[in-house]
Amino acid sequence: MTTLRPKLLLLGSLWLATPATTRAANFKHVGSIYADDKEGPLRAPEGVACDDKGALVVADTGNARLLTYGFRDGKATGGAPVRLPQATYPVRVQIDRKGNVLVLDRKTRKIVRVDGAGGYGGAIEVKGASGATPILPLAFKVDLADRLYVLDAGERRVLVLEPDGKVVREVALPRGEQEFTDVAVGPTGKLFAMDSTAARLWVADPAARSFQPVGESLKDRISFPTYVTSDGRGRLYVVDQHGNAIVALGEDGSFQGRELSMGWSDGSLYYPVQLCVNGEGLAFVADRNNNRVQVFSLSR
Amino acid sequence: MLVQTILLISALALGAQPPLAAKQATPAGTKARKARAGVPAAPSGSGFKLKPGGGKVCFGCHADFEARLKKASVHTPVKSGDCTGCHNPHASEHPKLLAGTPQAICLDCHAAIVPASPRSAHKPVAEGRCVGCHDPHASEFKANLVKSGNDLCASCHKAIAEAAASARHKHHPVEKGCSICHDPHGSAAASSLLRKDVPALCLGCHKIDTPALARKHLDYPVKSTRCTTCHDPHGSNAQGMFLANVHPPVARGQCAMCHEPATSKTPFKTRQVGAELCRGCHSQKMSAMLEHSRVHQPVLEGACLACHGPHASKEKGLLKANGVVVCGACHADTIRRQEGSKTRHRPIAAGDCYRCHDPHAGDLPLLFVNPNGIELCGGCHDWQKHSTHPIGNKVKDPRNANLTLQCQSCHRAHGSEYKNMVPYANATTLCTSCHDKFKR
Repeated sequence: MTTLRPKLLLLGSLWLATPATTRAANFKHVGSIYADDKEGPLRAPEGVACDDKGALVVADTGNARLLTYGFRDGKATGGAPVRLPQATYPVRVQIDRKGNVLVLDRKTRKIVRVDGAGGYGGAIEVKGASGATPILPLAFKVDLADRLYVLDAGERRVLVLEPDGKVVREVALPRGEQEFTDVAVGPTGKLFAMDSTAARLWVADPAARSFQPVGESLKDRISFPTYVTSDGRGRLYVVDQHGNAIVALGEDGSFQGRELSMGWSDGSLYYPVQLCVNGEGLAFVADRNNNRVQVFSLSR
Repeated sequence: MLVQTILLISALALGAQPPLAAKQATPAGTKARKARAGVPAAPSGSGFKLKPGGGKVCFGCHADFEARLKKASVHTPVKSGDCTGCHNPHASEHPKLLAGTPQAICLDCHAAIVPASPRSAHKPVAEGRCVGCHDPHASEFKANLVKSGNDLCASCHKAIAEAAASARHKHHPVEKGCSICHDPHGSAAASSLLRKDVPALCLGCHKIDTPALARKHLDYPVKSTRCTTCHDPHGSNAQGMFLANVHPPVARGQCAMCHEPATSKTPFKTRQVGAELCRGCHSQKMSAMLEHSRVHQPVLEGACLACHGPHASKEKGLLKANGVVVCGACHADTIRRQEGSKTRHRPIAAGDCYRCHDPHAGDLPLLFVNPNGIELCGGCHDWQKHSTHPIGNKVKDPRNANLTLQCQSCHRAHGSEYKNMVPYANATTLCTSCHDKFKR
């Protein structure tokens, strides 16, 4: 089923007890997921989501399906496939507080809800957004209150939605040469958007109507950032897709470290796409061009 | 000890001074040499108490200067025999016994020729390579140029010069001299070393309000627009000196297809915004793009003009420039990797990114145009001649159970810091990444 190496230490308690510092965590490879529950290989997975209860969902994009695992005590179990006609090109995935999986389908450009049993729970219908341009979700995140933060390429903005799709806030992105590829939400409600072109972080305070750049362009240190997520403790992790690395940033856009490198063997990355960090100090990376998901422990 | 004593006596006998003494010889009466920002001042070279005749002392050995002095354009210090204005006759830390860096020496007299805050700078000037264009002693050409005006420019800007020479419709100033429009030392006014920005530069000669020219522009008030979005200022084979590839509505004079009528208060306002305007003609193509599972982000955002010019272009497909520039505007990291690569991949160096990637949409990661990597590379490379190493969809990659061996298992298509676009420093490391039993 999986070829996970059970090397995981008792990292959970250590992770929770350790305060955030300016030094980024080291990524230590603890395992890789190569297959579903029937030893069927993963193909170009572009999404991975995890929660603190041990749920792990993989968007197995090349096989047009989701795979649901449990991840406990350093082991992945399960790997049952979920195939939905409403999500044949699953890319980014998130797990909400109720255990539902939210999936962005790249072809239909809809965010689809999948319940804990793998059933279709409907698409998120955005209600009350300004403007007439169709909403084109490029990326999204879910917060602890199950609110959705949707990066809308159509109007260059981030929409904050209630779980039922009602728009509660719109935060404008600049209409310049930037190409925004992801949005993240920090523990204090700050929003972050990543401009891939300049490798620069933009931030919006909880009540702000627009994003502002923070820090400087990190183009010399990040090749092409395509994904950003918060560890919930004041640090952001960025997937450098073309640089085949994970980069840690402060919420002020400061560079805090770079981990991993290009390669095909376990522990190396080849065009990674999405990253999930859970409360146990584990990072799951959708390692797209290596056709696998890799698991790392974050040690300080 | 004996050797050192002999050397010291010899030096004293020959009247040589240590280099430090020579450097300190700053005579009174020579003009002050001011340092420009970032450029060290050239140390004064005069004050060597030369024998009568000044530079004639130098010509005693440098006999070829007799002939140089007869050339049409002789540099003033050479003419006046002030060789020490630029050279130190004893010792120097700079080549050719120059009294300072070449750039500092030239700017010492010619400081005003380079704009202090240029909007565009000529690379040789920025790099202090004045002698790339000028002979510091004498030449047969005006301003001591090493070749005649346009021939000199053409020695670097060959493609432009050749296109201009073969153009059916020539632009008169190009034939007369590049420097009519361009300032070779830098421009404080415009990009591309232009003496004025477009359209002011063009309007200096072309009276756009004349009825004939107004008619040609269908009465649109073009005097505030950028002429070079449609016209090639270096000449063209197309009538009206249009750029090589013209958007059909422009070629047919149907400006009002996209813009409001010329009589409107806002004549240049487009009839629709963004991609919706393009969709009017290109709807089938655009719909087909959006049918794919992967759509390039500018396409998804409807930012057609991020890559294309709406009027005319030198490039096929009305691209704003070649791939290195257009794709590199967002993918600078990829272009930079190629530029720093020991082995260059030709399609990328030529900006032909579209050979491997579909710039609009596709169904494959990285928007590859062919799902079979070996076939994709095989379009140019006959791999069986290149290697007998087994590759293909049936050959497992020992490093990763979910991969088969492809060209990209060993090579990085956009280059690497090592030879042959291999991501490892040497063949041993590359080979033993799979054949680990041979690791030492």
